[in-house]
Amino acid sequence: MLVVMSREADVSAFPEEPGAPVASPQDLLERVATGDQAAFSALYDQLAPRVFGLVKRLLRDHSQSEEVTQEIFLEIWQTATRFDANKGAAVSWILTMAHRRTVDRVRSSQSSRDRDVRIGIRDHNPDYDHVSETIEVRLEHERVEKAMSRLTELQRQAVSLAYYGGYSHSEVATMLSVPVGTVKTRLRDGMIRLRDELGVAS
Amino acid sequence: MTERNDDLAAQSGAYALNALSPEEREAFEKHLTASAETRTETTELSDTAVALGMAVDPVTPPPALKANLMAMIAQTPQLPREVEVVDDAAKVVQPAATPAEKKAQGRWFTRPATALAAVAAAVALIVAGGVVADSIGRTSLQETSFAAQQADQLAAINGASDSQRLVSTVTGGATATFVWSVELASSAVIVDGLEPLPDNQVYELWYIDSAGARPAGLMDASTDGTTWRVLDGKMAAGDVVGVTIEPKGGSDAPTTAPIVVFESA
Repeated sequence: MLVVMSREADVSAFPEEPGAPVASPQDLLERVATGDQAAFSALYDQLAPRVFGLVKRLLRDHSQSEEVTQEIFLEIWQTATRFDANKGAAVSWILTMAHRRTVDRVRSSQSSRDRDVRIGIRDHNPDYDHVSETIEVRLEHERVEKAMSRLTELQRQAVSLAYYGGYSHSEVATMLSVPVGTVKTRLRDGMIRLRDELGVAS
Repeated sequence: MTERNDDLAAQSGAYALNALSPEEREAFEKHLTASAETRTETTELSDTAVALGMAVDPVTPPPALKANLMAMIAQTPQLPREVEVVDDAAKVVQPAATPAEKKAQGRWFTRPATALAAVAAAVALIVAGGVVADSIGRTSLQETSFAAQQADQLAAINGASDSQRLVSTVTGGATATFVWSVELASSAVIVDGLEPLPDNQVYELWYIDSAGARPAGLMDASTDGTTWRVLDGKMAAGDVVGVTIEPKGGSDAPTTAPIVVFESA
């Protein structure tokens, strides 16, 4: 698929082009909360590739991914009134919601899915149909990969299976042949390690 | 109960990764309201999870997805804003909260509304039959951009400051809504449960003024749910809008009696 990545997909860098100022997701989301449909349109342009990429990573199925992405953006429209910038960044709010909704879908359609356990573990391989890799995405990718490399094998596998595979902690326990209690602990330890490596702490 | 709480606190990582079962998730969220420490940690781990999400390659969705969404939001109400009383109460109780704790409190005390999925599903159903939904992912570029254009226009009409609407019943029982904006000189007709026509017929829309009827576009009934179309041409204040059944391809002037008529004021 030869599609040129538009700058809208660049969510954290807002290039100041002459005559084309780009509003931040934060500003846009606040405008969406007032019923501004044009702001919703701009917000969609900026973040839809991020959301769709994440949803597709978890669900893999193209048409299901479209459905879920649509549901997520509809929910963004409906609940934008509840977004408060004091509580965190707009992008975080949206990606958190996107991940949760996608996992909900993964769980509800589990029986019909052919889930290869190893897909979750090999998850750092890029999708074949990804649009392109901007420098920004590649840097984030490398940063996360580097942070992930600091985890123990078990922590890394557990976190990957949970986040990129959408597996529950009990499923992860089965796959890795360790007790559920151990998985919970590894997920927490792993995420704390990642937090520190990525400098997320507030 | 401390033991149980410790056990709950240990689930922050699993929670941030959405790896808990619905029951566990609920129990954990209850625990969050009680423990500032867990709240702060959970906020940070959730932000860490976002970083994992940001490392995924973006994929551009098909254009029809946006077109469909724009049509949906035009008809979807937003939740009322919440009055954040709880937040204030929390500040009184813990005046020395760190910025991180405040951020965490704010985030977890205001719960996202539930049952939204049901609303979303219902709306999806309502729109699913429309010209736009049918085109998702499987139409030619031309149809897609037409659908996108239509959706953008419908959104603009609904969003216009002078947007007005009228509801009427179509001959045969379907409910039709006429929405227009004089400022934008544009209007749309939305019909719920419009009956499908034989292949050799089509619905035609008309702007009617003292000079007569001007053709304003054709539409086919969607197989289920909602049929809608933004009218071609410019609308003037006081224009009457009608829908007739015409032979395939449409007519230059109405050949049958309208099945519904709207009089814009």
